[in-house]
Amino acid sequence: MLKYIALKGLLAILVAFTASLAAFLLLNVASDPAQAIAGEDATPDVVETIRIRYGLDRPVYERYLSWLAGVATGDFGESYYWHKPVAELVADRADETLTLALSALFVTILIAVPLGALAGLNPNSWIDRAALGVAVSAQAIPNFWLGLIMIILFAVMIPIFPVSGDNTWYHFVLPAIVLGASSVPAVMRLTRTGLIEVMGADYIRTARAKGFRGNALLRRHALRNAILPVISVLAVQLGQKFGGSVITESIFAINGLGRLALESILGADIPTVQMLIFVFAIVFVAMNLLADILNAALDPRIRIG
Amino acid sequence: MTDVQITQTTAAPQAETEGLSPGQELRQRMLGHTGFLIGAGLITLVVLIAIFAPLLAPHDPYAQSLANRMLPPIWQEGGSADYLLGTDQNGRDYLSRLIYGTRISVTIGIGAATIGLLIGVTFGVLAGYFGGWVDHVISFLLTAQLALPGLLLAMALVFIIGPSIWVVIGIVGVLHWTYYLVVTRSATQRLRSLDFVAASAASGASAPQIILHEILPNLIPQIIVIFTFELGISILAELSLSFLGVGIQPPTPSWGLMIAEGKQAMFFRPWLVILPGICLFLLVIGANLMGDGLRDITSPEGRNG
Amino acid sequence: MQFQKILRRAVLSAAVLGASSAAFAGSEDDTLRVAMAEEILNLDYNYTTKREYIILAQLTDAKLFEFDPDTQDVLPSVATSYEWVDDTTLDVVLRSDVQFHDASPLTARDVAYSYNWLRSAESESNATGVVERWLENAEVIAPDRVRFHMTAVYPLVLRDMSSRIMLRKEGTYDAGGEINRDAMASDLISTGPYRVESFEPGTELVLKRFDGYFGDAPAIETIVVRNIPDIGTQQAEMMSGGIDWVFKVPEDVATAADAHPDVDFLSGPDLRIGFLVLDAGGWSDPEGPMTKVKVRQAVNHALNTEEIAQYLMGGSSQAIHTACHPAQFGCDQSVTRYGYDPERAKALLAEAGYPDGFPLDLWAYRDKPVSEAIAANLTAVGIDVNLRYVKLESLNQARAARDIPVYFGTWGSGGTADTAAIARIHFADGDRNLSRDAALTEMILAAEQTADPDKRKALYTKALGRIADQAYWAPLMSYTANYLVASDLDFPLSPDGLPRLQNARWK
Repeated sequence: MLKYIALKGLLAILVAFTASLAAFLLLNVASDPAQAIAGEDATPDVVETIRIRYGLDRPVYERYLSWLAGVATGDFGESYYWHKPVAELVADRADETLTLALSALFVTILIAVPLGALAGLNPNSWIDRAALGVAVSAQAIPNFWLGLIMIILFAVMIPIFPVSGDNTWYHFVLPAIVLGASSVPAVMRLTRTGLIEVMGADYIRTARAKGFRGNALLRRHALRNAILPVISVLAVQLGQKFGGSVITESIFAINGLGRLALESILGADIPTVQMLIFVFAIVFVAMNLLADILNAALDPRIRIG
Repeated sequence: MTDVQITQTTAAPQAETEGLSPGQELRQRMLGHTGFLIGAGLITLVVLIAIFAPLLAPHDPYAQSLANRMLPPIWQEGGSADYLLGTDQNGRDYLSRLIYGTRISVTIGIGAATIGLLIGVTFGVLAGYFGGWVDHVISFLLTAQLALPGLLLAMALVFIIGPSIWVVIGIVGVLHWTYYLVVTRSATQRLRSLDFVAASAASGASAPQIILHEILPNLIPQIIVIFTFELGISILAELSLSFLGVGIQPPTPSWGLMIAEGKQAMFFRPWLVILPGICLFLLVIGANLMGDGLRDITSPEGRNG
Repeated sequence: MQFQKILRRAVLSAAVLGASSAAFAGSEDDTLRVAMAEEILNLDYNYTTKREYIILAQLTDAKLFEFDPDTQDVLPSVATSYEWVDDTTLDVVLRSDVQFHDASPLTARDVAYSYNWLRSAESESNATGVVERWLENAEVIAPDRVRFHMTAVYPLVLRDMSSRIMLRKEGTYDAGGEINRDAMASDLISTGPYRVESFEPGTELVLKRFDGYFGDAPAIETIVVRNIPDIGTQQAEMMSGGIDWVFKVPEDVATAADAHPDVDFLSGPDLRIGFLVLDAGGWSDPEGPMTKVKVRQAVNHALNTEEIAQYLMGGSSQAIHTACHPAQFGCDQSVTRYGYDPERAKALLAEAGYPDGFPLDLWAYRDKPVSEAIAANLTAVGIDVNLRYVKLESLNQARAARDIPVYFGTWGSGGTADTAAIARIHFADGDRNLSRDAALTEMILAAEQTADPDKRKALYTKALGRIADQAYWAPLMSYTANYLVASDLDFPLSPDGLPRLQNARWK
């Protein structure tokens, strides 16, 4: 088990470095940081000054090596835009995104698990069909669309919630619903199929034969087993939300990592992009690892190694 | 080009699944599945519109008339019978653009899902069949791909190659191979341990022969199901790319681009966003329902990953 | 359509609720809430260039002079007067009562330091390029006098002093011998009418009226600048009373939002103009069609600029036919004008040897509807246009690589109402000049070597006439500055298109 975790940890770091190298090369061909910093009406000499100020006139490989050397000593460099250490910048923004990701996950669970359970316990009933309809529709609705509709309905038309910002928990309600909705289909389907499968399994049939009925049966066996894959998927979803909240954060003007990622990509702020990719990669692998461990801990039949 | 692809793929499911189960039974299952019928109906409708776009469209989708810009649809005040669904910001007929837009969406959906299929299935089969270090390398690629922001990749490629519909198809395809990989990898692992594969190997068949003749044919039902889902996902991905400005180039009538262009005034001219939004929603729902249906039909237990 | 009714109602109910939520923003607490899409990260305009930063620098900084946007006159500010000792030596007399935001007085040493620092290569400032053009060094000659020694005659020196160079305390950037170019990035200490109360980069900036300001005190006590990246969210905040002012609003949105009782749409002129730059010099293809003057004239005739200005830009946008904004000094309007005439354009193309047109890559980076209209106009006369709508950086790189036959460019002249601010960069320096016309470059540079207004005017007339006759450009239209403001806010517009929030007041 420990060996497995160590191996996965190593993999995370390898992935983080590969992704950051790819990002570095891509950003360098895709954009010109000096021009992006200078803006639309900048004269060539201003652009040139900026290029020299940030050392962007050095060859690409040299800059990547010096970045690597910095990372080895825990220094992720300084942002071109923000004029402060990238590590500090990311740490500052992480809590907004974590709040958003966790509350979105909460919304997902609140909607998807009961809906999926109802559907799974009554397969092919109208409840099942309605739940499936919700899932199929939610999959086809673009995120930004839902965000704007939420603003129109609950911030402008019925002003219960603020339009944008991230000062209080109140500000996070609408964004959490929008971001949470995107995971509802996957989690709901999984809960449903999990339950159907478990209800059809031999040991449940045996339990039924022994005289267990209704809720007692459900509590004791079915839900616990059905929830296993759901928990691991939730961990993965959390990892994805951590880096996948770009559009939600932009619409609601939340200053988290998603918006930071989008803006640093558009603005070619290479050090920031580098560190974000690093962080996202590690979070992503860590969450997958957590999912594996949870699975193993909850289900004695699975042994990893 | 578009038309050729369309006829090929709609014909594919029946032709190829027939080898697995008696055709008549399959047809009966299809006809008995409401979701599948609705989904397939929607997809067929869209494909027909795409093929007969020149006959259906009342205007040239590229013809501008600045004096007639931003006309509302006919049921609104100020609407005109010449432009049933109004006009866009350059005074082009919205209905004609929506009709021609089917060609773009269908081309992108099929093209991107095919590219993803080629990459994902190749990797999945290789990883599942050979295992060992091949499997490790491919898992590593998978994780690195998931950790790298798609937006970055998209921007880099658009910059290097220049934007066009083919670049968009390529990018979306390259970003969506992971689902194929995960499913085909585990399915190949399972198949490999089965008797008939072992028998084939014992009779002297080489690895490529076994993969082509024994493994791949058995993967086809699953691949078709994923392909249908990816169709919808790819179409939504085009929307995100166009939304962020690295997608289809104007003046091509793409639904994603139309939504992105109409978005800024969506509080006041909501139809500019709602109409292409509905088209997109129906097409994606169609793809999802068809995917769900195919999954149920090809595996009666209702479970397939 | 049900949804649309809901939206209608949403907008209407927002109107009703506007009254109750007015306490949120605006006059009640004397706080002007402003939204900007662009992130505000650095408050030191000596180290920034973008428009947003110019707007903020108006609030936080005072310069040696102020330019009156209405009359083009030089007004005193930190300096009370100036005197030319000779052609290249300028003496400036300072006010005695100018205070920094930390209450310390501004001295001649501070002024000289600011200029000399920006002149030095190690400052790596965004103003260095401008200052280098003319400044030899600045010297303190009396407690209230600074002498500027110049390297050459330079007619725009007072303009530069009133726009590009911000005054800092002596030693700001290199205290103790250690260079810190970010010294003023967030804790700005300057001399303007507003001081920084709090600043969270990328989120919110709070400015308070500075009581020690030497000039007229602004009417509004507090200005809050929030970063709201999404334009839809900006509109929603505007309608629900969360913000009072937003700029760069697209015409369509602005006119529609105007219907809301608490929101006013203001549209003023802007010095930015749009134009097509044609590769007359054959950089991208020595034999390319754009090297033929008849083809370039055909392009000019093909464009329906009146319609583009009227319908796509709206507001105070006007079609132009000069390579400069009509409001700029020296922008002679009597040069050749090519009217919209597609038939004439086709005929010219045929004469030039392209009766069936030719394939053309048209590059553009902003104003998508305008780019599409241009493409449609050119397609209509038989040119096979491939529109390449890309990010600004991509366009700049392609241009630097000499790969661009035609691009849709725009230029704001940094708010400077003088042809020099657009002519030099487009027809003398650098890769924006595709004309390959040495005689033209000579005229443009000569105009900057004299301080005599009549001579400059004559030189620009000649240069602009040549540009028009040779059709190096296809000028399109002037821009319009669109704002949405809360209806209880009085926000005066400036003819140069630069928003001056310091002049805003409550009605």
